[in-house]
Amino acid sequence: MFDDRLIRVDMTNLTATAEPYPEAWKLLGGRALSARILLEECDPQCDPLGPDNILVMAPGVMSGTAAPTSGRISIGGKSPLTGGIKEANAGGNPGQDLMKLGYRAVVVKGQPADANKRYALEVRKDSLEVVEADDTKGMWNYALIEHLATKYAETASFISIGPAGEMKLSGASVACTDADQARRPARHAARGGLGAVMGSKGLKFVMIDPEKTPVRRPDDAKPFFAHTKAYTKGFQDSPKANMFKFGTSSIVPVANMLNTFPYKNRTEGQSPDVATLEGARIVESFETRGGGMHNCMTGCVVQCSNIVHDADGNYKTSALEFETLTLLGANCGIASWEDVADLDRLCDEIGLDTIETGAAIAIFMDSGEMEFGDAEGAKRILHEIAEGTELGKAIGNGAVSIGKRQKHARVPVAKGQALPAWDPRPLKATGVTYCSSPMGGDHTAGLIVNPGMPPEQFAQASQESQLINAACDSSGFCQFLQPTMPEIAEFYSVLYGEAVTREQVADIGWQCLLDEWKFNEGAGFTAADDVLPACITDEGIGPDHSLKFDVAADIVAQAKAERFPEREELWTTKATG
Amino acid sequence: MPIVLIPPPYRGPTGGQERIEVAANTVRACIEAVEAAHPGFLPQVFAADGEPHKFVKLFVNGDQSPPEAEVAEGDEVEVLAAIAGG
Repeated sequence: MFDDRLIRVDMTNLTATAEPYPEAWKLLGGRALSARILLEECDPQCDPLGPDNILVMAPGVMSGTAAPTSGRISIGGKSPLTGGIKEANAGGNPGQDLMKLGYRAVVVKGQPADANKRYALEVRKDSLEVVEADDTKGMWNYALIEHLATKYAETASFISIGPAGEMKLSGASVACTDADQARRPARHAARGGLGAVMGSKGLKFVMIDPEKTPVRRPDDAKPFFAHTKAYTKGFQDSPKANMFKFGTSSIVPVANMLNTFPYKNRTEGQSPDVATLEGARIVESFETRGGGMHNCMTGCVVQCSNIVHDADGNYKTSALEFETLTLLGANCGIASWEDVADLDRLCDEIGLDTIETGAAIAIFMDSGEMEFGDAEGAKRILHEIAEGTELGKAIGNGAVSIGKRQKHARVPVAKGQALPAWDPRPLKATGVTYCSSPMGGDHTAGLIVNPGMPPEQFAQASQESQLINAACDSSGFCQFLQPTMPEIAEFYSVLYGEAVTREQVADIGWQCLLDEWKFNEGAGFTAADDVLPACITDEGIGPDHSLKFDVAADIVAQAKAERFPEREELWTTKATG
Repeated sequence: MPIVLIPPPYRGPTGGQERIEVAANTVRACIEAVEAAHPGFLPQVFAADGEPHKFVKLFVNGDQSPPEAEVAEGDEVEVLAAIAGG
């Protein structure tokens, strides 16, 4: 039905070729596909920044189709931050454009002989080519895309790294251009330092030009489009869908109420500055400054991404998310959403994960070398990262790195990766995910916002959340669409014109987790790594500082030991992250 | 009696309970009845001015409803908090 192919890029010999995509892998996409390729082809003991690591760019199964909010792309590889397997995904249009051309993944191996050289991969309808790109060396992401927009067709989209990736810093992200006409590099596969892996291969950017290629459609398109139309209408007609129409920044007040809006390097769960950091202030700014909500990728019906303008009405950044407002805002004691917007723009420009970078700056502040709340100081640090100073590199390499430099013990990480906003002390089942997930401290691996959950339910709830999120991140659907596994199965069925069951989708999610755990085992991870640090287990937040992560190790082990028997909740659990 | 459906983020005060039967005849009275049995629940729903937080919406049998809406035997009062990922 689809003439799908896989792109192989050899950065040692600077070649790019296409090969047929295995039929057996047709239901594998995104995260599950990345995990399978890495397990089969990458030595888990390899140097993450050496030639033997593999960088995978894999759109989800539904990417490039007309299915709503389905165009996400996964970036995968061995993480320089965790030392284990990593997947981070992003919106924007590169995933959709690759899939329109029938490319299910880009697999990048090797390393150029000259580390000072920069290259680009050009993907067109009829050609693949690795070209020199020394003229882009050191460019910040926005300037890079403005430059590329003058050089390539207006139908092209881009995947790129900023200076942080070029310097191979462990907090470096991979940027994808969004759906707006300006094609801004505002969508980041941010977690785990995969930008550093891209930088280690000398790959500054990927250009994908689908020209006017239409969306992917099955031979018998009628059932597919009928299902897509009905699902989209159902979503849009639901009053509950409108709850999230102002994006993730609107979560701030309720997260604060639940003690999961970390303040000053997580020494408290609530911030006194919630009123000046909450999303309502951003929404108010739309009235006087412009900006507003938009879809980050073509065909998105959720439209949770905001565009933030400065006081003069000029574009400043997109999207200013809950996680960023927390880690670069409250967690650093910074009280103004406008300062956080500046920091967010700098992170997108330099190509940095806002979670890891915010956590690292907070640790630096907590160590006593900078005052909490020093927004200008935080901005200076980001400039130092771009300049490559010793301090800049220490912070750009993430939370553990700056903790070592400062000899500071309060370093809130899981498997070497900074914890996101969602705190494992009030949300203990989410803490089980941080401990047991192959991804480490990553809420998108399996978020459970249920502070009242009884302990005996933690392991199964975490495993089920990890399953649906792995399945979702393999499908191309955004977690904010909140699909269930039966819904993903229905879309696969109408795309391929054959019955795909919810059980098959669950099996794909489970196999993805097995592949990732196996890779990490090969990399040297043991049960001793499935823990959270003392600042999370011994230091409390909330009323009387009574909330601590006190979940027993055997509960964590249950979440990954074997698959729980299927129960009805598995099919009604929505992807969320 | 009406049944109050507790959303997962708000199950801290209810000790994880998902459905709570209450003797009440308005949405507000339902929330107050849950508060009487599980202190700490009501402030998650209503702000200091007595109105629902702006991130909370209330539904009766699936229809969005104000706090003063009347409820009857068997009605389901659903509290929805705008919180999902980030």
